[in-house]
Amino acid sequence: MDSPSAPGTPISEAEALQRLRQQEDASQRYYAAWWLGRMRSTHPDTVPLLLEALTDALAAASGDPDRLFVARNATRALGKLRAGEALAALQQALDHDDHGLRESAARSLGELGNPAALPRLMARLERPGAADPDGGGLRLQEPCEALIEALGELGARRPDDALVTLLQTFQDHPRPVIRSASARALLQITGDDRWAEPMLALLGAGQLQVRRAALMDLGACGWRPAAEALAGCLAENSLKLIALRGLVERPLGHDPGQPVDLGPEERRLLTLMDALL
Amino acid sequence: MTPDLSLSPTVNEHLRAVAEAASSESLLAATRALVALCPTLPAHSDDQQAVISCLMELLATNNPGAAVAAVDGLIACGGAAVEPLLHNLDAHNYGARAWAVRALASIGDPRGLPVLEKAAGEDIGPSVRRAAARGLGNLTLADLEVSQRLRLQERCLKALEGTCRDGEWVVRYAAVVGVEQFLAEAPADLAQRAISSLERLQTPAAEEVPVVRLRARQALEAAATRPPGTNRP
Repeated sequence: MDSPSAPGTPISEAEALQRLRQQEDASQRYYAAWWLGRMRSTHPDTVPLLLEALTDALAAASGDPDRLFVARNATRALGKLRAGEALAALQQALDHDDHGLRESAARSLGELGNPAALPRLMARLERPGAADPDGGGLRLQEPCEALIEALGELGARRPDDALVTLLQTFQDHPRPVIRSASARALLQITGDDRWAEPMLALLGAGQLQVRRAALMDLGACGWRPAAEALAGCLAENSLKLIALRGLVERPLGHDPGQPVDLGPEERRLLTLMDALL
Repeated sequence: MTPDLSLSPTVNEHLRAVAEAASSESLLAATRALVALCPTLPAHSDDQQAVISCLMELLATNNPGAAVAAVDGLIACGGAAVEPLLHNLDAHNYGARAWAVRALASIGDPRGLPVLEKAAGEDIGPSVRRAAARGLGNLTLADLEVSQRLRLQERCLKALEGTCRDGEWVVRYAAVVGVEQFLAEAPADLAQRAISSLERLQTPAAEEVPVVRLRARQALEAAATRPPGTNRP
């Protein structure tokens, strides 16, 4: 590196790999791991280095803060890169002591799209007290939202009665954001429109944070009848545009391998998006 | 708040409701009521100037709902709001500047072009670049003398071509919408360049985001059924 630059400034792929390889400065490694995921790096060294950052943290005595700090970003990047070879390590990370690492691992397993991860994700959510508050803070004992979302992504590929039953128990959770996540997963898995109702109702919630969650969940499901409700919800246009993009690109029940055509439905959605720019 | 006797009683009453709003809900309601007056205010009247000043202040308050409504009000005031908006850009308030760019993008007054160019190319906020990209296709240039209009169109297209290569999908999406609108009044040579940008954004090799490709395809269809420049005066 000729001119080391501060995190946040543009770097090249070679420089990002170099920063991840070095072991002296954890913040440089942290930034590099993020960068490689964000930029969808396809370099042959990328996935092995990210995986090494994760397995290092898994092997280390629990609580090595620097390693964990890097491993969380490496975990997220492995998901963004859809690194199939990370399946085993990500599943192992689901059982780590660190809440943040478990959360990143759950999301990345959802992004990997391999239903083989379903049993381990379910097991974590079925633990006694999983959905109870963790101490006095906002966190629950398990990263329930991330676990539920991943189950929705993967369960859609392999429907399973036990999974549906488990997810339904979260419809009674005191936190609206958790109810929304569970309705999202249930809609993705069953395709049954009635699961859209809890999310539609939450679009009108008093708290902005809850409206945002319901907006993003309906977008992630690709449930197109929600389009007008999403566009009219009281939230930032940036989020509405992301949600509507989800309806256009990943309509519920559509084979993700097939491109979406430009039909009357899509034109209607694009018109709604245009009005939000 | 002392009523300003040069203003109409209705405007005074609405300005007082905004000034005296005690909660964010009542501020939002008062702002919306004030904004509803905007289309009825005579252009460049004292009433309109006073309302515009009040709306400009609302852009700087940390109340997104009120700011959204205030932007709508400024847009409804049209050309009369442009000078105050341009002046407000000096403020060291990122949020207010972002709202001002949005208002200028919708008003479409050519005096806003330098601001839109700068925002489209340099602003750190994707939502601001997005608004600027859309605004670059939305300038009202029909009243200008031909050579000046061509010069501004050239600048708009150059800035739009930049936004077509933005790193954020939503900015590229807005750029497609901007280019589509730009094409309606573009002379043939600029139209050809604009179409090339759309054609590139239609291909998976150049554009990874499906919704941007679909929007580019739709814009190209529109350009094919309505040849460029057909709306040109």
